[in-house]
Amino acid sequence: MKPLAHVVFALLLAGLQAAVLRWVGGGAFSVSLLAACIVYLGLQGGNVDGSVASAGVGYVLDLMTGSPKGLMTFLAVAVFVLARGAGAAVDVRGRAGFAALSGLGALTLSLGALLLTRLTSAPEVQPGAALLPRMLLEALLTAAAAPLVAAGMRRIDGLFHREEPGLLR
Amino acid sequence: MFALLKRYRELILVAVLLLVPLGVFFAHAKQPSERTRLDRVVLWITYPVQRVVAWGVTGVLDGWRGYVALRHAQERAADLSRQVNLLQMEKQQLVSERAEAERIRKLLAFAQATPERTYVGGRVIGVRLGTAGLQIVTLDRGAADGVDRAMPAVVAEGVVGRVHSVTDHTADVLLLTDRNSSIAVRVDRTRARANVRGTGKPDGCKLDYALRTEDMIEGDQVVTSGTDGVFPPGLPVGRVTHLQRSANGLFQEAQVIPAVDVTRVEELLVITSAERAVEAQPSAYAPGSQR
Repeated sequence: MKPLAHVVFALLLAGLQAAVLRWVGGGAFSVSLLAACIVYLGLQGGNVDGSVASAGVGYVLDLMTGSPKGLMTFLAVAVFVLARGAGAAVDVRGRAGFAALSGLGALTLSLGALLLTRLTSAPEVQPGAALLPRMLLEALLTAAAAPLVAAGMRRIDGLFHREEPGLLR
Repeated sequence: MFALLKRYRELILVAVLLLVPLGVFFAHAKQPSERTRLDRVVLWITYPVQRVVAWGVTGVLDGWRGYVALRHAQERAADLSRQVNLLQMEKQQLVSERAEAERIRKLLAFAQATPERTYVGGRVIGVRLGTAGLQIVTLDRGAADGVDRAMPAVVAEGVVGRVHSVTDHTADVLLLTDRNSSIAVRVDRTRARANVRGTGKPDGCKLDYALRTEDMIEGDQVVTSGTDGVFPPGLPVGRVTHLQRSANGLFQEAQVIPAVDVTRVEELLVITSAERAVEAQPSAYAPGSQR
């Protein structure tokens, strides 16, 4: 159930993101709140439910962004693995660390999508390096919004947290 | 084998979750596939969610813009209203100044067209248009500026009147519409002589002493003849109207619509140079003539 709840939360975030971006900025910039979700899953989730939830979030991204099927799903799981690796190698603590990792996750998603799309698309329609500044801005904005996403994810985790009965009970 | 799978099941799951989407991506990247039924179901489920979220966000933003962001709107509106009032006053002033500049430009062009004359320009500072026939305006120029009695007062459109009395710094101009005003004129088309006399009304004068035998039609322009010793010849006075030629009698009767609307005159020129009309002298006494 927990991965499903995360996917539903991702859906909500995607809707919120689309609605807010429509009003603020008018498409001049973007933000990837779901990248922060995936990073949170990589840091806090388990191997199984985290990877499944990440794949679900990636599937949502595929649907919402209209990208070729499987692209964002693969990249979401890849970011999950990277975040998990980063979490194992470095002790990520506090909001700043999570924000930085979320920004990197958003950048990884964007760069991965750029590279894979370049691999498969015709030369005349290949996305170019002109998108890099926009990707960097997106990563920064994602990092700025990441603590809010983490708070939401923690709240969902709290719904599924169960106290284990102690020996004295 | 089963034990191996069980031991690395998490790793295998992650690998599957990585490889399957990648395979799907490469399989469909070249040929974009249609959305599956699952995709459509998920989108169908998410559509109301998105709509509610968008409605909420839009509502919040609209509320912000419609109420919270307008908290200084009243002061701003009052400030803008003050600015609009000031700008309207400025605009009115500019329009007035432009009209004045246009009138003065016309006067200047008129004065430059006759360089042999000398003029004193003045501004109307007082008006006495009485119902009893008194038609006088006061100028801000007087004897100290070279203005003297009986000097003609004109604008670019034609004759306004003559100076009636002067003080050091002001002058009263008897308008051509005053009852006591009489100006010697000619019909411009036929050179017929007559007099234009004021009636005491600002919109009309009377044509006197126009011989019944003279060729005259309504619409003829009358100009100063110069024979009265006041006005130089050729200045427009008005147009003939309501012409009546009786069966007997010496003269025909007509009215004259003044060329200048005397109620609207704000600046005028006083001709200070004395001019004698050549035709005022009998040709037998004209210079160079032989007896």
